[in-house]
Amino acid sequence: MGKISLNHITKIEGHARLDLEVKGSKLVKCELGSIEGSRYFEPLLKGRDYRDAPEITSRICGICSSAHGVASVMAMENALGIKATPQTIILRELQTIGERIRSHATHLYFLALPDYLGYESALAMTKKYMPEIQRALRLIKIGNEMVTAVSGRVMHQISTTIGGFTHFPEQEKLDEFRKRLLAAEKDIIDTAKLISSLKVPKLSTEGEMFSLSHETEYGTSHGFIKSGDSTFEQKDYSKLLKEYHEPYSNANFVVKKGKSYYVGALARVVNNGDRLSTKTQEFIKKNKIDFSDMNPFKNNLAQAIELIHYWEYTADLLTDFKVKYESVMKPKKKSGHGIAANEAPRGTLWHEYKVSKGEITYANVVTPTAQMLRNMQDMIAVYVQQMLTKKTKKEKIVLEVEKLIRSYDPCFSCATHFLTVNWK
Amino acid sequence: MAKKPIVGFYGITGCAGCLLSVIFNEDEIVDIIKAVDIVAFPFIKSDNSKGPMDICFIEGTVVSLDDEKIVKELRERSKVVVALGTCACEGNIPAIRNYTDDKKLSKWLYKKNPQNQDTRTPKPIHEIIQVEYRLPGCPPDRDEVKRFIKDLLLNKTFRNVRSAVCVECKLNKNGCLLDNNLVCLGPITSGGCNAICPTHGLKCYGCRGLADDANFDEYFELLKSKKIKPTEVRKVMDTFMARAVDEKLKGTKWEKYH
Repeated sequence: MGKISLNHITKIEGHARLDLEVKGSKLVKCELGSIEGSRYFEPLLKGRDYRDAPEITSRICGICSSAHGVASVMAMENALGIKATPQTIILRELQTIGERIRSHATHLYFLALPDYLGYESALAMTKKYMPEIQRALRLIKIGNEMVTAVSGRVMHQISTTIGGFTHFPEQEKLDEFRKRLLAAEKDIIDTAKLISSLKVPKLSTEGEMFSLSHETEYGTSHGFIKSGDSTFEQKDYSKLLKEYHEPYSNANFVVKKGKSYYVGALARVVNNGDRLSTKTQEFIKKNKIDFSDMNPFKNNLAQAIELIHYWEYTADLLTDFKVKYESVMKPKKKSGHGIAANEAPRGTLWHEYKVSKGEITYANVVTPTAQMLRNMQDMIAVYVQQMLTKKTKKEKIVLEVEKLIRSYDPCFSCATHFLTVNWK
Repeated sequence: MAKKPIVGFYGITGCAGCLLSVIFNEDEIVDIIKAVDIVAFPFIKSDNSKGPMDICFIEGTVVSLDDEKIVKELRERSKVVVALGTCACEGNIPAIRNYTDDKKLSKWLYKKNPQNQDTRTPKPIHEIIQVEYRLPGCPPDRDEVKRFIKDLLLNKTFRNVRSAVCVECKLNKNGCLLDNNLVCLGPITSGGCNAICPTHGLKCYGCRGLADDANFDEYFELLKSKKIKPTEVRKVMDTFMARAVDEKLKGTKWEKYH
């Protein structure tokens, strides 16, 4: 079959490339890399005022700007000795969840679903599937409203700041929003039904399931890290995870003890399954959903499952939530070192800063896509070899590989950008 | 009915946020899809036409040779090019690095293979190709994007807001953040955002680019009177519009503060 090069993979966030080399029916090379231009966010933060960190880093990504903004604010608070109030923690979680809802809805309907229904895009689906597209847009709107209510804007937060919030949603608007959220139940359940009806190829990841976790909650924006059977504290990430560079990629790769691991909705659902909301557990039971095979294609289904969970969790949370004005807390010190993790829609995100006299001296951001890149590459190799052994046609292999990549929901802007396949 | 305009949406190095700002017009996007013929949109489409376009929206900063090739090719294929968002209009955050040592930057981040990185000077697209319209903002204002598309369909000439953010901020009856000794760039930044940041308590970082009549002398002097050094002010100005500020300050007494 020779070489396959996918030089620009579409329907993913950012720009990436894949090179495959086949001898006989054996895959001898599989290189997945980012071809996004480098933006150098971390060194650009050096020498800047500590308050600039969330403003600058939220621009790393349009899809998960809240995940970055919130992680940045939390890491900076850890560095400067600020302890967030309970209300602040709730509001940041709402912002993170709102973004999760619109990101999952966008990914499921606009990027993933066309593959399964045999369309080149959601735009082409509008003739036959207009109700589904409109459902997607309603869910995106709910998520966007939530992010806007808390942070002031659809993306690139305004009110969310180091020490609290500079602006608060009006109680009346939050109550109205809760009504609209409750009314979205059918859209949420219909989405989960639709995604669970899609047939996925058999595949099983070899990496550990890696995500935030918590004793009593579904891990979202606080807690400890769970990876396979082990747990560790957020601040210890650099001892366990290693970043490395490959000449064919503008994004770094991340490994844990030399091995790839799995981040994202599937990892969260596996690690926190018993803390999913009541209606979510009922849906899983009723539809006999099983994630124990750790099939990366099921990340889409895990996203749909998370939609039910976050929908019910938020509706419950808002039932008695009364927002009150709180002034922004000032840092206790102007120098320090802080780390924080937050679950972005596509996996665990880390921000780390060192600050001296109010000036940033070091910044490190480890994105979910950098962490999933190696696992994605490993799984592409396994899946392509499976298909080669079955003598699958080249065109079908390319299509299936793209489908696999999309199910990871990578964000190559975050990791730098994403995909073009090169068959060589 | 007149023929539908043939439209493409492209992204070079950026965050996809501007492309999302188009899709996130949740109530109108279906009508937009019907009113125009979207032939290319690689973020959400697999089949992307290589043919001519009436209008091409481009998001992102030109940071690499590939980016440069792409925007030149898109220019050749398009009657009208629209710079969508602050990266395309101003260079945005990547352009800060024009004022930092590239090799050091590259080494710092990609320790193992610094030679592999294509480290050119990040530029807004109008420094590479001719651009007919700009829709600045990080993110672009969703209502402004809609107004642009509406004007286009009605054959009207779209015009940007050229007055400063301060005008809209005062209309919103906000207190002035400069009074809190914050380096708010409202006085020198183009409006059109309804002063959304200052209204929510955040200083203006200048994401919409310079206002037509930006008065740098007065601005630097005002901040100096508040004991804020010009170098600190310049850092804030560089966040989103480093290229334009650098150009404007050339030959003035403020040039050296970097």
